[in-house]
Amino acid sequence: MKTMVSSVSKKHKISNLLVYILLIFICVVWLMPFVYLIFQAFRGESRGMVSYILPKEWSLANFKILFNETNFVNWYLNTVIIALFTAFFQTVIVLSVSYTLSRLRFRGRRLLMNMILVLEMFPGFLSMIAVYFILKLIGFTGPGSVPGLILVYIGSSGMGYYVAKGFFDTIPRSLDEAARIDGASRARVFYKIILPMAKPIIIYTVMMAFIAPWGDYMFASLITFGYEEAYNVAVGLFTFLDREHINNYFTVFCAGGLLVALPITVLFMMLQKYYVEGVTGGAVKG
Amino acid sequence: MASVVLNGVKKIYKGGFTAVKNFDLEIKDKEFVVFVGPSGCGKSTTLRMIAGLEEISEGKIYIDGKCVNDTEPKDRDIAMVFQNYALYPHMSVYENMAFGLVLRRVNKEEIHRRVLEAAEILGISDLLGRTPRALSGGQRQRVAIGRAIVRVPRVFLMDEPLSNLDAKLRNQMRTEIMLLREKIDTTFVYVTHDQTEAMTLGDRIVIMKDGYIQQVGTPREVFEAPANTFVAGFIGSPPMNFFKAGITGGKEKPYLSICGTEIPVSKKVLENINLPEDKKVLLGIRPEHIYIASGEGISGEIKVSEMMGSELHVHLITEDGTNVVVRVPTLELSEKDKSLLLPHNTVNFSLREQALHFFDTKTGMNINKTSSYQ
Repeated sequence: MKTMVSSVSKKHKISNLLVYILLIFICVVWLMPFVYLIFQAFRGESRGMVSYILPKEWSLANFKILFNETNFVNWYLNTVIIALFTAFFQTVIVLSVSYTLSRLRFRGRRLLMNMILVLEMFPGFLSMIAVYFILKLIGFTGPGSVPGLILVYIGSSGMGYYVAKGFFDTIPRSLDEAARIDGASRARVFYKIILPMAKPIIIYTVMMAFIAPWGDYMFASLITFGYEEAYNVAVGLFTFLDREHINNYFTVFCAGGLLVALPITVLFMMLQKYYVEGVTGGAVKG
Repeated sequence: MASVVLNGVKKIYKGGFTAVKNFDLEIKDKEFVVFVGPSGCGKSTTLRMIAGLEEISEGKIYIDGKCVNDTEPKDRDIAMVFQNYALYPHMSVYENMAFGLVLRRVNKEEIHRRVLEAAEILGISDLLGRTPRALSGGQRQRVAIGRAIVRVPRVFLMDEPLSNLDAKLRNQMRTEIMLLREKIDTTFVYVTHDQTEAMTLGDRIVIMKDGYIQQVGTPREVFEAPANTFVAGFIGSPPMNFFKAGITGGKEKPYLSICGTEIPVSKKVLENINLPEDKKVLLGIRPEHIYIASGEGISGEIKVSEMMGSELHVHLITEDGTNVVVRVPTLELSEKDKSLLLPHNTVNFSLREQALHFFDTKTGMNINKTSSYQ
């Protein structure tokens, strides 16, 4: 009996060891690019690509170049404006659509949800050319790219309703009903009762809505169409990797990349605790 | 305080399922009416239609004489207690109770006064600062009731408010609802599937099945004069026993033929029923009206003997396969009886003549001319 127990425990230890080795390997693969980016951002001896990771000379020169010799501040500001506006409007639209589809029953609801599902299957870039021409017609390309890009990003926000609708579906309908009997209109039920309980999904929606335009390259490069003042960080920084710039700006690109990653990391760390726990405890009989 | 009238109310769901069929009822001002029935009988749907949470497919609902078919729930001046409490989890007990009053723009002092008063009535004054998460099931249910009473509604709706509580707490809360009713003199509509709650709380009981009202009456009426076999079987615990029976013998000396046994019966009993032509009836008798009698009556084999404390429930099967439950008070049991009322023993039982209920074999309707208890 004792031998059997010890054999099971030995097997368990070996399988644990293998799992940990695999996890460590995955961690290294995931973290390596970020570590590499950080080291390169602080490399002082040269600004081109090199075949080693650890800098021989640590310096902040790349950041100085970034702020003094390039349009980075402008791009950063563009990106912040676009991301903040997108995050706000997209969150409002997504939550409204999700709550409506979760709670109201109207003719064509299921058809609408199915149609959105099918439309979502098509990649967004299929509409790029049409979107470009429409925005060009109203002057929202080139110099007017910032509002143009905000429109692009919030344009189909409501179609991303699934996750939030799934969350709203889990909030008991009796809470809405109790509030309606207490004297609340449907709108008041939404923002007085449901929204305070929906913190995790609001945080999730805000973060997703912020991150998508923050790192977008494809639409931004098309809509700004070579107008440097209107670039976002992704398009702007990518110009450092052109053949004529890469040898002088690679480490500057890395410094920019580090600054781009920073707010997202801070945002995520600040808001992640709300992910974990909802606030519906005690609402209804468990 | 208001009357509630339901006139030919129907609820037909998308897909054609009819949950409530031709519901006609007049609930008087300050009356406590209980809707009772098995799951899916339409009792909660009817209550939700009164509350305005379900659309009415046909018919009209009047509250205090005013048709409310198209009135929003918030404008009906009703309050409702939900089965699952439905407390606002992000608000304190005080805020939960005050929410309805804040929305109705009642001034702060008045809100404070009413919340404290309701909390006092329900014994939750020391819980006002807590959130629902920090409350037990019974406390949550009190808060839910408190939230409803602070509003001083015209009609108080309760949808199975005690069904999530354990048996002991349920009994306690049932008593408290009875006391509460005396304190807040308003119209109550109460939904339950528990016939004990219905019998103890209601001025009148509405018994429902498959969307139809089976009987409306006081607890005494539905118990003593059930309209049909469904009501007879639903009200009372353990449920009523049924026997297929025939009337034999002459008018002067009639007999009941049950389970192959001829039992003499007084002609007064037969005079009180509308006897069908084939003289076949369904006989109903409650378990407490059957007594075990040695040497006479119908014989049956004991299958199970359930000791309930103050009484013994003896489950028998007769020779023709009819299942019978007999309720025997344990106080009346001698040592000999105790050894007799054990499984696999065969005993004889008799029926109390004055407690017999007669039903039509085809329709299941009561064919007694007056209550058999009279």
